[in-house]
Amino acid sequence: MSPKYFWVERLMAFRPRLWISTHGALLPLGLALLLLTAMFTPGFLSAPNLLSLVNTASVIGCVAVAMMLITISGNVLSFALGVTTGCSAMMFAWLTGYESGLLATVGALVFSTVVTGFQGLLIGLFRANPIIVSIAALGLMTGAAELISQGSMIYASGSQLQGLNDTFWSVPASGWVLLALVLLADFILRFTRFGRNIVMLGSNMTAAKAAGISLWRTTVGVYALAGLFSGIAGILLAARYNAGSLEYGIGYDYSAIAAVLVGGTFIGGGEGTALRTLAGLVVITGAGAILLLHGVSTEYQFLFTGLVLLVAVLVQGR
Amino acid sequence: MMPVIEARNISKNFGRFQALRNVSFSAAPGEVHALCGENGAGKSTLVKILTGVLQPDDGQTLIGGEVHGIADTQHAQALKIGYVSQELSIAPHLSVLDNVWLGCRGVPLLHRRNELRERARRALNLVGLAHLSLERRAGTLALGEQQLVEIARMMVRDVAVLFLDEPTATLSDREIECVFSAIRELRRNGKTMIYISHRLGEVMDLCDRVTILRNGENVISTDVADISRGKLVEHMLGRSLSEMYPQAGGMSSVGALEIRGLMVPGKIRGLDFAVPRGKILCLAGQMGSGATEAVRALAGLVHDATGSVVLDGMPLKLGSVHTLLERNMRFVSEDRAGEGLFLNLSVEENFAATQFDVVRRFGLLLPAPVRELAERLADIVTVNPDRLRSRCGDLSGGNQQKIAIGRCITPGSGILLMNEPTRGVDVGARAEIYALMRQLCDQGYAVVMTSTDLEEVVGLADMVLTMYRGARVSLYGRDEISASRILLDITHPLTYENAA
Repeated sequence: MSPKYFWVERLMAFRPRLWISTHGALLPLGLALLLLTAMFTPGFLSAPNLLSLVNTASVIGCVAVAMMLITISGNVLSFALGVTTGCSAMMFAWLTGYESGLLATVGALVFSTVVTGFQGLLIGLFRANPIIVSIAALGLMTGAAELISQGSMIYASGSQLQGLNDTFWSVPASGWVLLALVLLADFILRFTRFGRNIVMLGSNMTAAKAAGISLWRTTVGVYALAGLFSGIAGILLAARYNAGSLEYGIGYDYSAIAAVLVGGTFIGGGEGTALRTLAGLVVITGAGAILLLHGVSTEYQFLFTGLVLLVAVLVQGR
Repeated sequence: MMPVIEARNISKNFGRFQALRNVSFSAAPGEVHALCGENGAGKSTLVKILTGVLQPDDGQTLIGGEVHGIADTQHAQALKIGYVSQELSIAPHLSVLDNVWLGCRGVPLLHRRNELRERARRALNLVGLAHLSLERRAGTLALGEQQLVEIARMMVRDVAVLFLDEPTATLSDREIECVFSAIRELRRNGKTMIYISHRLGEVMDLCDRVTILRNGENVISTDVADISRGKLVEHMLGRSLSEMYPQAGGMSSVGALEIRGLMVPGKIRGLDFAVPRGKILCLAGQMGSGATEAVRALAGLVHDATGSVVLDGMPLKLGSVHTLLERNMRFVSEDRAGEGLFLNLSVEENFAATQFDVVRRFGLLLPAPVRELAERLADIVTVNPDRLRSRCGDLSGGNQQKIAIGRCITPGSGILLMNEPTRGVDVGARAEIYALMRQLCDQGYAVVMTSTDLEEVVGLADMVLTMYRGARVSLYGRDEISASRILLDITHPLTYENAA
């Protein structure tokens, strides 16, 4: 045996036994660990902590569901959803100046839907690489928003937003919004033709084409939907801070990707559900909160999320 | 004599499909060893294992009498195992010299160019390309010469064992003779060659020993001198032909698919044919004949195809899959994993994939109607209904193919377009698929298919249209079909000049 290949052969022999066979194993493991550590973390199960946790998680959750739709459709991920969220928050805050909550809401949602749907058009029609398109959109939107706002924050006027900060049955409105979006996304994916087309496109693009599914229509649709969900996240943010800023969206795509992956969505597309993404979100944000309560600084939280991402994507390796 | 390369009790599964079951194989130094078997018998899987592309699930590989794993293709090169694939892998813009050294792991960054030239020259002389300039661009060579350059590439690597995967599939007679003399010359130099081919004549002429696989199992391994050609066929097929193929029905030709002037730039140069309902038309041709492309063009998957298609007296637009679906013209791809099915989705979902409109209630896809449709189709194509919830990729190739066909069955009868309907399908399922195709024809379907499996063409088709390099050679009706005529047409088209 040639010495150069000695270790290669050893590794090959061990690989099947060493590997976790299904990436679905990560989610129950994460939830169990979370529950265990939560019980031994003083203050975690207190009402104020849980309330603020739901508030944070619901915004990330909306972006995560949007991200999951893009992942399932076979377009891996988007780097532009965070900035879309920030821009929609700004749009919403700006439009509240016209004293109409409806105008502000519709305006912000139309903006995010059109901007993201247009990316879908580029990807679906011209077969542009989805990741590069999202990076370009990130740059364009950041630049444009900075130019227009002169880098300053936009304050919302009016009291139309108050309803979004109330709690219903002791859960904040944003939590209910997230739950509704999760159910809506799963409903679309399971019970509508459009949703099945998304899954089939992500599962096997060539076969989808041969089966007569319109690539560009489905891609535009899935991106528009993702944009809509990101826009909703932006409105929730603007309502919470009573203002809109580009900074709000920063880092949201990062956590969203982590939630999607921990939730067992296959990064290659064609597999995944919003409910599992929600569970992944609980693991990611819950773990972050626990670290925070133990006095671990933000830097370490980033390290932690990075590590979780790495594990999640390695487990998916085939 | 000690075998240079040996496989002992190799098994390999893909999902639930057993590609190899306890297969053994050995080749002695200096012999040309034929590896024969039908499509899907496991030949290429065995070759991939012996060249390090795949790892066996069970069993051992032996090199020079010692148990020795083959980690990857680089490792195989280090072990002096070479492989020339069926598809040419020449870099057309590089010179012959560069092509000969391409991918060789023994060339240091700082090398002596003259030495490389000399060694390339020797390798080219060995394979009978002494006349060739080293500076010539490889893309300007004839196909046969390119094949020989690939063999020379293995020679500079000083391989002891060389796998040749259907080296003559796309070559002309004269080119084939050149490859043969190169192989004989290499045998004189003590190289071992494993020759994979469907062409039994070549096996009888050229090879010393033959190993036959069938459905992933060893059938026989013997000296070529000890076996007759008829016996060889019998071992490969493992059955008599008459049991395999259902009788053609007497469906009258009501309605028809008519194709006129079908062209695909660089692939098909004007093709006319018509299929009546109830008949199976087979386009027969080798790789590069345009047969596969013709079916793909009809399926709307070739964007630059032109020509007129008339279905039931109404013109049909080429290039739109959607229109085809509306007119009940469906395509079953030869590449199930890549183009045909959604392997990580459920069987149920795959059945419904092209018929969502049929099962929609109130604009929604509710589970019950989808399941109902899937159960009905599963019943027609004889897929076990208990498996509707399984992941499609876990089913055997035969079952997957039945699903791909079932997906095409619509309330009204239509047109079925199929490329290689039984590629990678075991014999049992094969007979079921043939019966299914015949059954659909009796219900008024018309089938346009391609196949490179000659037995299948002869046994199944009602009409055979032979093709050579993008044009039709001739058309045979049921009574005129014979294997030898088809083979002649697709390999040595005497009528080619007249037809073109």
